[in-house]
Amino acid sequence: MQSRDEYRIALLAAYALALHGFENLIPMPIPWLKIGLANIITLTTLVLFGFRQAMMVTLIRVTLASIFIGSFLGPGFILSMGGGILGTLAMGILVSVSPRLFGPVGVSLIGAFVHNMAQLFLAYVLFIQRIEPMIIITPILILIGTMTGLVNGLAADLLIRSLKKGSDTLQNTA
Amino acid sequence: MADRVLLATLLLVSLLGIVFVNDVLPHGTEVSIEVEGKVMYRYPLDTDRSVKVEGPHGFLTVEIKNKKVRVIEASCPNKLCEKQGWISRGGIICLPNRISIVVRGNEKPEGRALDAVTG
Repeated sequence: MQSRDEYRIALLAAYALALHGFENLIPMPIPWLKIGLANIITLTTLVLFGFRQAMMVTLIRVTLASIFIGSFLGPGFILSMGGGILGTLAMGILVSVSPRLFGPVGVSLIGAFVHNMAQLFLAYVLFIQRIEPMIIITPILILIGTMTGLVNGLAADLLIRSLKKGSDTLQNTA
Repeated sequence: MADRVLLATLLLVSLLGIVFVNDVLPHGTEVSIEVEGKVMYRYPLDTDRSVKVEGPHGFLTVEIKNKKVRVIEASCPNKLCEKQGWISRGGIICLPNRISIVVRGNEKPEGRALDAVTG
């Protein structure tokens, strides 16, 4: 990896981390509900710079955020890491298999869905092992994930458009 | 276009899922409190009481009242279990303390159990 890539990953991870931290300040009606604003950065990185860089940004963001919050290697960290890796992986596969089928919103929706299902599965296997609460929470989580995935997807779409426009103008003037 | 189809599908599946779960899962009649995967207490849902439960990292108090259950005075840092409030079905899970409080039916209502669903 070139040093320019490393610099870019560091910068993007810092943005993702800032959004992750900012999100914790927003009061939520349900305590475990998260918007997942950092996924705006993951998705933008994925579309503009590719899968490897997006995965690096996710890994750095989840690890550093858990160290700052103090949940490193705890149950919350395991769920965040599992959801982050699998969500990013799903979005990466989707973009590389059929790049034109879905726009950023569709990719974000799939990412949110896989992220939530991965977390549920991990929570079930590692901590809870009770099927009834899982059955009750699954459709609720899909619904919430679809709404937050939509918001993040629309935001990423705007960001990607404006970044592309920015780089076009730069290239034209150069 | 594909984005909209996906959005509509996810919304439909989740809403149908919520309706399905509401319809299929029986309302509970019994509260079972599990610590680290082992059942420690079982109480009928229609008798009011409160119980102090010890977990590996602290304690919490479970209150049963008016056929509903809630957690009060949890010793965990984020108190998610307390914030969940009263429930009459499903469960409350305290992850740091490995305690789960599950409301379930102690008898299978006829023809409405999950086992009966096929296809």
